[in-house]
Amino acid sequence: MIQIAIILFGLTMLYVSVTSRLESYVKAIAAQGAILFFLVLLDYGTTNPGNLIFLSFETLAVKAIAIPMFLMYVIRKNGIYREVEPSVTNYSSLAITTAIFAVGFYISYWAAGTVSNMRPFYFGISISTIVTGLFIIISRKKIITHVMGYMMMENGIFLLALSIAREMPFIVALGVLLDIFIAVYLLGLFINKVQDSYSDTHIDSLAKLKD
Amino acid sequence: MIETLLFLPVILAVLALVMRNRTLNIIMTSAYAAVFMAVAVALYRSHAAFTPYFRVDDLNILFLLVLAAVFCGVAVFNIDYLKKNEAPAKSHALFTANLLIFIASMTGVILSTHLALMWVFIEATTLSSSYLIYFSHSDASLEATWKYLFICSIGIAIAFVGMIILSMGLNHSDSLFFDDLYAGAKNISPFWLKLSFPIMLAGFGTKVGFAPMHAWLPDAHSESPSPVSALLSGTLLNAALMGIVRVNRLMTLAGMKWYAENLLLAIGFISIFVSAVYIISIKNYKRMLAYSSIENMGIIAICLGVGGAGMFAAMLHLAAHSITKAAFFLTSGNILHRFRSKNIDDVRGLLRSDPATGWLWMLCFAGIVGIPPFPIFLSEFLAAKSMIDTGMIAQLILFLLLLTINMAGIGKAVLRMSFGAAVEAAGEPRGGLFSYLPQWVFIALLLVMGVSLPGFVEELLHKAAAML
Repeated sequence: MIQIAIILFGLTMLYVSVTSRLESYVKAIAAQGAILFFLVLLDYGTTNPGNLIFLSFETLAVKAIAIPMFLMYVIRKNGIYREVEPSVTNYSSLAITTAIFAVGFYISYWAAGTVSNMRPFYFGISISTIVTGLFIIISRKKIITHVMGYMMMENGIFLLALSIAREMPFIVALGVLLDIFIAVYLLGLFINKVQDSYSDTHIDSLAKLKD
Repeated sequence: MIETLLFLPVILAVLALVMRNRTLNIIMTSAYAAVFMAVAVALYRSHAAFTPYFRVDDLNILFLLVLAAVFCGVAVFNIDYLKKNEAPAKSHALFTANLLIFIASMTGVILSTHLALMWVFIEATTLSSSYLIYFSHSDASLEATWKYLFICSIGIAIAFVGMIILSMGLNHSDSLFFDDLYAGAKNISPFWLKLSFPIMLAGFGTKVGFAPMHAWLPDAHSESPSPVSALLSGTLLNAALMGIVRVNRLMTLAGMKWYAENLLLAIGFISIFVSAVYIISIKNYKRMLAYSSIENMGIIAICLGVGGAGMFAAMLHLAAHSITKAAFFLTSGNILHRFRSKNIDDVRGLLRSDPATGWLWMLCFAGIVGIPPFPIFLSEFLAAKSMIDTGMIAQLILFLLLLTINMAGIGKAVLRMSFGAAVEAAGEPRGGLFSYLPQWVFIALLLVMGVSLPGFVEELLHKAAAML
């Protein structure tokens, strides 16, 4: 059951790498939040009920519902639906993501043979998700896609933290602090001038400062 | 005493946001700076602890004193800066509140005894300093702030990955207190430790400004108000370096000194190389100072990587760079105020039109490139000496070559700005006493350090170096 959930998590990243519709990105982020919620319930294994309630609230209410709804709202309000002119084509994007996953799995299964205390499935998918998130930030051009790439990377980090939750539960709770950055970005896109000047534009407009 | 440093600014920040009074803002910042200095000196005399999570030891007292010195200077400069500034009362209050929280979170980074707690405070420094960078509310500052937040948040996320991976390697304990990590260093699985160090180096290194993760640094330093640039360069980079230094110690204790040293050398050389490439043809003098910060952080990384006498050199360089660069950035604020341009070509004849600024500009230049008797000469000399001791001749040649290029780049710009006929300045006339006093005090401090390193300073640096 846990393994299926993690595979689904990995599939969302492959889906993101081929699509150019921003709404699909949001759906993938919502799906990741829901999967993380299930994993917290199934696999967190804590004896502290307060911690469990906090994390399940965080994953379900914040990651799976609130953030995606807010993103949808920003996208519809600005009328931006597509990631135009990606720096790489969908095909090569998928090829690169697949390669990242293959290398991630290879390394984690190879490492699992030499070290103890490691769950290769968790490790492979979460490391690949983190790297793919970085790849999305690098290869896409809209600011809002950058923010979404950061969210996916952060979900990957959450998954990685969950894999050692039995030994160190506080690490998972700390990972939630990264959501503060996301809140700041979204507020920036929503309230601040960033919305007018940047949310629909390319990162090219962020290139005035240079040498 | 530590609790004063951490809680007082929070109370003052709330007060600033509620009262929104300009004079009160200035008084509160200065008062906190004075208290900070007094407490830092008291902590130097008798090391103290506050809960298991905060403690003063021989290493972080050096960082704390440097922070105190730079903050005091900036607070004095700030009196003039905030008086002249015509921002609305709300921005004024937000600036003060964020400044206070920024200082408190850097104090938290420096004093924390727990890796995860230190990481939380580094995140807090990012959040609190972003408004300070955005303070002028221009498009350029918005761009700089966005880049700063985004790149640093990725760095912080990556540092977190490094922490998780380090936790995977802890076999017999689940504590991330530095004391426990150090005590159990031999038990940490080498595979995970080797994997986590470069990840944490990249993550924390993003905030230190090591190349190639430095993209935010020139933008943020050049677009923020000069007192904030001084704080970013003189204190924030050090605070982030604290994370690397603490983890580097873990590597040494775990018997992987060579591994960490090589990585630090590599990242240090890349940093001074990148800064040399940009600085030689730089057009904007505030960006020039920012690249110089990348260079100096690279030098510190190299000193840490060389080891031996390099450790002492690293600590001396850290202290000297912070104070010199703070003076440099504050002086650049005076020039910007007077000429309303950050372009090197627009500024001429500083020595004729405003001798005080001109001389400060020249002295800061001499300080930053390490012309004797300034202490950076001493630290770079020691770094070179320890390279010879360890037989790194090729690295030494490259090191000196890159330092010379950096020196030439900064020197060209500074001399062009200082000499020549005085040009008509577009901005306002020279500022009051407070716009000059901190820099002169900093220069005097540096000269004392460089000419005769006082016994207690030397002891402080040696004790800190012994804990690396």
